[in-house]
Amino acid sequence: MSASGSPLLNVRSLGKTYPNGTKALSDVSFSVDAGEFLVVIGLSGSGKTTLLRCLNRLVDPSYGEIDFAGRRIETLQGAEVRSVRQDMAMIFQQFNLVPRLSALTNVLTGQLAHQPTWKSLLGLHSSTEREAALEFLKLVGIADKARVRCDQLSGGQQQRVAIARALYQKPKLLLADEPVASLDPATSHSVMDYLRKANRELGITVICNLHYLSLVREYATRVIALKEGRLVFEGRPEEIDRAWFQRIYGEEARDVGIQ
Amino acid sequence: MSASSERWPLRKLIFDTLFFAYGVALFADALGAMGVSAFHFTQDDFIQNFSHYATFSLLLTGVMAIVALVANLRGWTTPGDALFASPLRKLELSARPWSRSPWLWQVVIVFTLTIVVSVRVTESSIGDLLDADGLQGAWRLWSGLSQPNFNLLPRALALAAETIFIAFLSTVLAIPAAFFLAFFAAKNLMQGPLALAVYAVLRALLNLSRSIEPLIWALIFTVWVGVGPFAGMLALTVHSIASLIKYYSEIIESVSDGPIDGIRSTGANAIQTVWYAVVPQIVLPYIAMTVYRWDTNVRMATVIGLVGGGGIGTLLIQYQGQALWPEVGCIVLVIAVIVWLMDTASAYVREALK
Repeated sequence: MSASGSPLLNVRSLGKTYPNGTKALSDVSFSVDAGEFLVVIGLSGSGKTTLLRCLNRLVDPSYGEIDFAGRRIETLQGAEVRSVRQDMAMIFQQFNLVPRLSALTNVLTGQLAHQPTWKSLLGLHSSTEREAALEFLKLVGIADKARVRCDQLSGGQQQRVAIARALYQKPKLLLADEPVASLDPATSHSVMDYLRKANRELGITVICNLHYLSLVREYATRVIALKEGRLVFEGRPEEIDRAWFQRIYGEEARDVGIQ
Repeated sequence: MSASSERWPLRKLIFDTLFFAYGVALFADALGAMGVSAFHFTQDDFIQNFSHYATFSLLLTGVMAIVALVANLRGWTTPGDALFASPLRKLELSARPWSRSPWLWQVVIVFTLTIVVSVRVTESSIGDLLDADGLQGAWRLWSGLSQPNFNLLPRALALAAETIFIAFLSTVLAIPAAFFLAFFAAKNLMQGPLALAVYAVLRALLNLSRSIEPLIWALIFTVWVGVGPFAGMLALTVHSIASLIKYYSEIIESVSDGPIDGIRSTGANAIQTVWYAVVPQIVLPYIAMTVYRWDTNVRMATVIGLVGGGGIGTLLIQYQGQALWPEVGCIVLVIAVIVWLMDTASAYVREALK
């Protein structure tokens, strides 16, 4: 829990310029309260992925400040970064599970940060840990696949295992980088439903990058929009009317629904 | 590319200079081969008058540097153009018909001249190939080989087993060292200034040790630990470590980044990330490459035996020295069967692991 009154995450004037000169993010500021389901929208290449990766420091920001759970995190190094990542789980468009390991083992990797290195090298997990991990597979409705290798699972099943891994981290914040962009519409809704469940029932704050406005309207409690690395919109999902839509996505754009 | 490298294409100029100088020297030598020119020289002549030829080469290179410069200023197409031109210029060059590309003609002429000179340097001669005495000798040797003396079979088999064990132990001993060091030789894992320095030093050492042939290592170790299988095994171990690190690190460099990001995002440390995200992706290709290395080592162990590294190669050189061709025939047969068996087995294992 964050200290009363202050937001869980506060980003001030964040920027990232890659070594090749690409300005992925410029001067982005926003904050997120505990319990929100914040959705980030914008065209491909607008900086959404870079933004999430700056938050958990898979990418080092070029400038700006990030407060997370009462702590300045943009300059932390080594073990401190890892402790931040433990509290800030992430799921990815391409799922990023380890293909040759079973679903259960993949979930168990969610607690690597709390394990001594020698123990994790031997792959030792207590039965309590295994049961806890299995609980999260049950939560996303895929406990029957616990022993199956992840490269044998369908895309939707893999993303659910990835959610289980993220939840097993017992995070304060869940970052979801286009979690449904590689999935069919029906599977997309089921994955988004599990994210909402994590948000509402487990009280985990979610920041989610999305493409489809129909999903945004259904799941977001608040929306920010990026265009060419800048924050161009901040508000409630229903405030994105036709005019805003065209400012964010360009004059030519037309909304494609996902049913 | 900056503007200055467009106007002063250094790599192109150096290449053209060397190319032209080589071409002119070849031309002179080829003319000499036909007995027309004063440039014709024999190897003895070259060794005795080395300083003379060195001066001449430097002068020639200097003149050709001027030619290359002129060619560049005039915009003539040269072989250097084709190699180092900017993408735009390459497009322009590729639009021309091949008959109107002078650089192509230059390459064809130099290639042909190189063949002429190579034939001369290798002392190639149809006469020697069809010489009656020579043919008779070769026939005698071949008929000896084709009637193997199978009395030698037990010894040959025992030493073939020695060769396989030499190859096996050298492979196994190389695995742990190569497994550990390969991570430091994989560019995708070695990010950051310190890591990149370690990577560069390790790569340089590897290239150095791989450029020393196992035959040379065998010579070193026969002096160190004495002639015999132990020396051969050590030589192959050293060579295998370097080779396996190269195979392994290339496998590591080809793993997908997704799982690495996934494990890092959980807060795992570097060792845990490698163990959980990289290692599961590399185990099967590692086994395949290691089996292949064992197979290669069996063939190399045979060769190393020739210089005192033990195994069946040592037997081969003994009988070959005494010109006992039926015995040599038996040994060669055993080697062929072993190599064929190892090759088939390792191909089968690698296929099964795909």
